[in-house]
Amino acid sequence: MTRRDLMTVASLLPAWGATAQTSYQPAFLSAAEFGVLETFTEILIPSDETPGAREARVAQYIDFVLNNAGEYASEVQRDWRKALDWLMAANFGSLSAAEKLALVEQMASPKHGGFATFRLIKQMTVFAFYTSKAGLIDNLEYKGNAYLTEFPGCAHPEHRKV
Amino acid sequence: MEKFDAIVVGSGACGGWATMALSQEGMRVLLLEAGSSVSPAHDFHHRWPYELPFRGRGKPGLLQKYFKGSTEYNYRIMIDDRENPYTTPADKPFRWSRSRVLGGRTLHWSRATDRMSDFEFKAASRDGYGDNWPIEYADISPYYDRVESFIGVSAAAAGLPQFPDGKFLPPMNLSCAETMFDAACKKIGFPATPRRVAQLTTMLNNRPPCHYCGNCINGCDVGAMFNTVAVTLPPALRTQNVTVRCDSVVSHVLMNGENKARGVAYIERFSKTPVEVEARVVILAGSALENTRLMLHSQKGGLANSSGVLGHYVMDQISGAGVTGFLPVLKGAAIRNDDGKAGGLYIANFNNLKERHADYIRGYGMSASGGAAMFPDFSLDLPGFGSSYKKEVKRLYPARARVWMSGGEMLARRENFVEIDPEVKDAWGIPALRISVTHGDNDRKLYADFFERAKELFLAAGGEITEATPRLAMPGSLIHEVGSCRMGDDPKTSVLDSFCRTHDIGNLYVFGGGAFVTTGDKHPTLTMMALTARGCDQLLDRARRGEV
Repeated sequence: MTRRDLMTVASLLPAWGATAQTSYQPAFLSAAEFGVLETFTEILIPSDETPGAREARVAQYIDFVLNNAGEYASEVQRDWRKALDWLMAANFGSLSAAEKLALVEQMASPKHGGFATFRLIKQMTVFAFYTSKAGLIDNLEYKGNAYLTEFPGCAHPEHRKV
Repeated sequence: MEKFDAIVVGSGACGGWATMALSQEGMRVLLLEAGSSVSPAHDFHHRWPYELPFRGRGKPGLLQKYFKGSTEYNYRIMIDDRENPYTTPADKPFRWSRSRVLGGRTLHWSRATDRMSDFEFKAASRDGYGDNWPIEYADISPYYDRVESFIGVSAAAAGLPQFPDGKFLPPMNLSCAETMFDAACKKIGFPATPRRVAQLTTMLNNRPPCHYCGNCINGCDVGAMFNTVAVTLPPALRTQNVTVRCDSVVSHVLMNGENKARGVAYIERFSKTPVEVEARVVILAGSALENTRLMLHSQKGGLANSSGVLGHYVMDQISGAGVTGFLPVLKGAAIRNDDGKAGGLYIANFNNLKERHADYIRGYGMSASGGAAMFPDFSLDLPGFGSSYKKEVKRLYPARARVWMSGGEMLARRENFVEIDPEVKDAWGIPALRISVTHGDNDRKLYADFFERAKELFLAAGGEITEATPRLAMPGSLIHEVGSCRMGDDPKTSVLDSFCRTHDIGNLYVFGGGAFVTTGDKHPTLTMMALTARGCDQLLDRARRGEV
């Protein structure tokens, strides 16, 4: 069985249940808020054929950044506090999986009252995911930051005709 | 009191060259650097974002507030604005990006290595605006040869009179996106050539060729790109004529009673102890505006300022938002190493060469590139989420492309100036600089024309434009700040002669971009270094004749 097969199997399991995936102890968020954030990020970047926010530990990274924002960027903590309060007030944690997905769909519309919350979490989730090994290497297959003897260059005659 | 033949203030591109050139001819040189020492092999590594606590962004707020323009990878080789403040009038924002470290900005520069031409040196004769340089291409060409041959420049000969060819190492290959832009340039008649960069493509003077890791702006770990620490300092140190003192913040130039510079005063960075050192020649080779700051502060009314133009005619090349989007042919393509060489395709200026443009004078260069970068910047604003979103990011990843302004000429205007701030001082009690620079009408029109041409090129390559909002960047943004200590033949209208020696003080030289009469449309570093090499030749001749 290859690693990719394992991923496929994993993707068939319930990907974002109500329970937290790790025993990480959040530093800025409460345990309940952290669980909500973890689930939300896993809906945004699910684990499917390739790893997602869960494998990239996106929620842990966000909690770490927020906990370090107090000194020079207290406004970041303020914005996230608002976003988390919005999700908690919407009882996100106690919704069913289908209801969670439906709510995220609605929040993704700029007209929805939860759009600011959606946008804040999405931007940070996307950044955290594509700067993780799971996102950059396993998902995007980035080839740079290596030692090469020659820069490969383009070898496609069709690219010379535009 | 310690006494040297020459004191060189600043260890960037020009300070490093001057230290090497003078020490190799037997002069005993003291090189003073305000920042700390650095060892590339020890301090520079390939890094992954996930190896850094904040993935490159740094502790929230810290870099945005105090290390403008730098990242978690490289802020230690930039500058801390809390220790080194500067001011501007509220309505004249200026971005001043400096470096205080051994090697200065050569440690993380973009490596663009361009020759200027007589279209630039003699522009005033052609369009009637401003002043010509006191030199022409034939005066500086041998020094371009010398600097290029020593630092190593990978480039292709292009046969363009406005962008002279030089002593080149083989060019780097073009990526897929650059190949498409190159074909588009041929189609619409834009003069394109691989970006000329001071990055080795073959072994040179025992330096290894580039290994295409793409980490240039965080410091090169092997010295394949030109920087002081890897290239000019080692031969200087081998002469045993050089004393390097880091963490030495020069506060002012010391004068004797006979209108000669006798040395400099500096402050030890950590102990804050003041120290004086003497020499037969004083060479200011910090960044353009730092040199001018020292001269303005060293003497009431400014040192070597009988002309009254010291501090005036500050310029930064014009830059601003370019055009971004995707090349549809590359959507879903296999992922390739596209950002390893960190260069691009360069389109030399093609305006105001034979015919005069209806809207503006002078010109600009453009750049184009694309492909998979370490971070998919477009992902932040791509709508949607879930598996379909992930797949779309992956599909678009190799197709990302952009055309940007490589640098446009900002006209020299006397009312763009720097002065000493009456109140603000740096961490060592040295008065801060107050910068008053704005764009003019010609600058705005030139940028507007670039923007239309950038769209034209993007579409000619078959591209889909996703972001095209014209926005002129604030002065200073291109980090090509020059002028404020201009050269000229007439001591009444210039500070320096054509060898970068001050008209007023026979043993005071000022190397760097400060001497520039115009910005031209090429990147400035090679010209700054060639002027330094030329000035050092003249200084050594004078020394041999016993004149200094």
